[in-house]
Amino acid sequence: MGDMALGIASSGLDAQQTAMDTIAQNLANANTPGYVNQTANLTTLTGGDALGVGGGVQVSAITQASDGLLAANVQQAQGALAQSTALQQVLSGAQAAFAEPGTNGLSAQLSAFWQSWDGIAQNPSSLAPRTQVIGAAQNIVTTLGQASAQLTQLQSNAQSQLGSVVSATNTLLSQVASLNNQIIAAKGAGTDPNSLVDQRNALVDTLSSDIGAVATNMPDGTVMVRVGGIALVQGSFADTLQLTGAPGSLAITSSTSGVTVPTTGGQASGLLAAINQYLPAYESQLDAVANKLATTVNTQLAAGYTATGAAGLPLFTGSGAAGLAVNPAVVADPTQIAASSTSTLPDATNNGANAQAMAELYNTTTGPDQAYQSFIQGLGAQLQDTNNQVQAQTSVANAAQQNLQAVAGVNPDQEMVQMLSTQQAYQASAKLISTVSTMMQALLSSV
Amino acid sequence: MGGAISYTPSIIADQLVSNITANQSQQATLEEQISTGNAVNVPSDNPAAAANIMQINAGLARSNQYAANAADGLSWLSLGNSTMNQILSALQSAQQAVLSVSSASISGNTAAIQGLATQVDSVRQQLTQLANTQYGGQAIFAGTGNVTTAFDANGNYVGGGNAPTRTVAPGEQIPVSVTGTAVFGTGTTGLLSTTPGSLGVLAQISADLRAGTPASLNQAMTTDLQNLQNAMSQVQSQAAQLGANYQRMQSFQQQATDTQQALQSELSGIQSADLPQAITQLGQVQNSYQAALWAASKVTQDSLVQFLG
Repeated sequence: MGDMALGIASSGLDAQQTAMDTIAQNLANANTPGYVNQTANLTTLTGGDALGVGGGVQVSAITQASDGLLAANVQQAQGALAQSTALQQVLSGAQAAFAEPGTNGLSAQLSAFWQSWDGIAQNPSSLAPRTQVIGAAQNIVTTLGQASAQLTQLQSNAQSQLGSVVSATNTLLSQVASLNNQIIAAKGAGTDPNSLVDQRNALVDTLSSDIGAVATNMPDGTVMVRVGGIALVQGSFADTLQLTGAPGSLAITSSTSGVTVPTTGGQASGLLAAINQYLPAYESQLDAVANKLATTVNTQLAAGYTATGAAGLPLFTGSGAAGLAVNPAVVADPTQIAASSTSTLPDATNNGANAQAMAELYNTTTGPDQAYQSFIQGLGAQLQDTNNQVQAQTSVANAAQQNLQAVAGVNPDQEMVQMLSTQQAYQASAKLISTVSTMMQALLSSV
Repeated sequence: MGGAISYTPSIIADQLVSNITANQSQQATLEEQISTGNAVNVPSDNPAAAANIMQINAGLARSNQYAANAADGLSWLSLGNSTMNQILSALQSAQQAVLSVSSASISGNTAAIQGLATQVDSVRQQLTQLANTQYGGQAIFAGTGNVTTAFDANGNYVGGGNAPTRTVAPGEQIPVSVTGTAVFGTGTTGLLSTTPGSLGVLAQISADLRAGTPASLNQAMTTDLQNLQNAMSQVQSQAAQLGANYQRMQSFQQQATDTQQALQSELSGIQSADLPQAITQLGQVQNSYQAALWAASKVTQDSLVQFLG
């Protein structure tokens, strides 16, 4: 009888020791990102005598407190948040390229330009007001050029950022595949793959934020990683991604199959939207503003005449925000500005009626001002929308993270309680061994 | 929050960090509003208001320009009015000279009549100078047809057919002067011509007085005097026109100023931050920020671990 009790007590010591190890591991990793709380699962050992007392206790497995659904929620929320945040950064940059509403923005410069034409009307034969008109036009050209250059810079920054994301993603995909492989091997060898699983989950989380990846747990312990429904990691296989196409139709494609990987979340998705939709739209709207300015001004000038009754020269040449320029011939000879409304002499000599008509075009529906105002309003609305999304998705992501943490995280208070009961069970088993020993000594001394 | 969720220290820490971050960004927004005094600092603060502000600013700039145009126009018209008064008083002295031909003291006195002719000549010369009056280097009676000169040395009009205008309201253009032909006339019914064969009224009077024959003196006192009076009433009607334009210009200047004020108050209604509200909110946000910081300093202290010494 003594052998059996000692065996059972010894199994208790072993099992409580392992349980204590698990608690130590949990406490040590209380702040480790991606760490999932572990529990030592205790089960009774069969065997023992014919009466069925049992053979003691064993640790059947160390299980992780993971919840696949909660983890998937976190991944999805992080992906959506990263997508909006990436777009927010680009749109904020675009908004900063236009100092609106303010006294230094293009809107104020356009106003100053239109008003300067009345200066010509007040003194058509003087060069000074004509020089002012040319100066105001040059300010506008400079501002449009700078804004266009800033949009181009944002575009190329976003592209290089996207390039880094794609190459980081390729590294992560191959790491996940390799961990999948190691997990299968560990399981085959009968060792505990939990720390490998934790590592792999942390990588999958990064993939969710980067490219909106979704992971599915497979029965063999591996994960399948998909983006937009296309499997990028399956078992030990990892696809690699590449960027194809030009801005406007830039796409992330699979190197293996060549198909486009449709991203619906993650930083890459936000950057793609900025590169393909938002920034090209802004650039073309800014170009339209520049072209409307040139057309409006040059058309009005074409209806007028110089002081000699001859046709004047257009004030603007070129097209687009980057290509617009003040006609160098007019800069060299400001009298070429057709300020007169008549070609009849002598009435054209000191006539500023066409310049007066020009000043009144400041709010024409086909002019640059209204196009610019609605462009800025649209940009502001898109950024405001994105800001709101970031705010909402931050809450969603925090909530999802908390829900997961509540299940998978380490609560030191709970661990301490667990530690106390493990300690007591250990002490009880140890006490039993000393009791059996006393019993044996009593028996031996009586013999 | 209920008891459904088990709060681990990392949940609590994450929540605190996110609360503190939210607090900081609220503080930054409020501080920007207070320091700039503007509720809309970037378009994304309020896109529709931002577009509105740009429109109002453009309207304000235009109203400022209308007011400036009107001010310039008023300077022209005021110079025109005072010039007209000088023209009229000069013409009155010419008229006086012609009327005095028949007076007892002068009648038959050739030298005295020659003196009257000289007086009329000097009136004509004075008028030619007045007709070329300039504002800022521009001859005000030359229309748009000549920069510096309305009448040449022979008293012939060299200006244009239309007076310049100033835009003082949308689509509203008011002439800032009248043309030299409207004021002084041309040819034989005009005041200034000295071209032989087509003498103007004043030159004709002078010539008739100098001829000194009874017929020519009679001509001066009848037909010539009538022509002079016709010309004077023409000058008077143009002076009245300038006066009317001056009044219209003034009322449009007032209108532009009123529009500026209306737009300005509309702008501050849209753009200005509600400072008392913003300052109160900032105080609240700062309080909760400090509370969050205090909580963060406590979060790791209370745990069962401490009680298991």
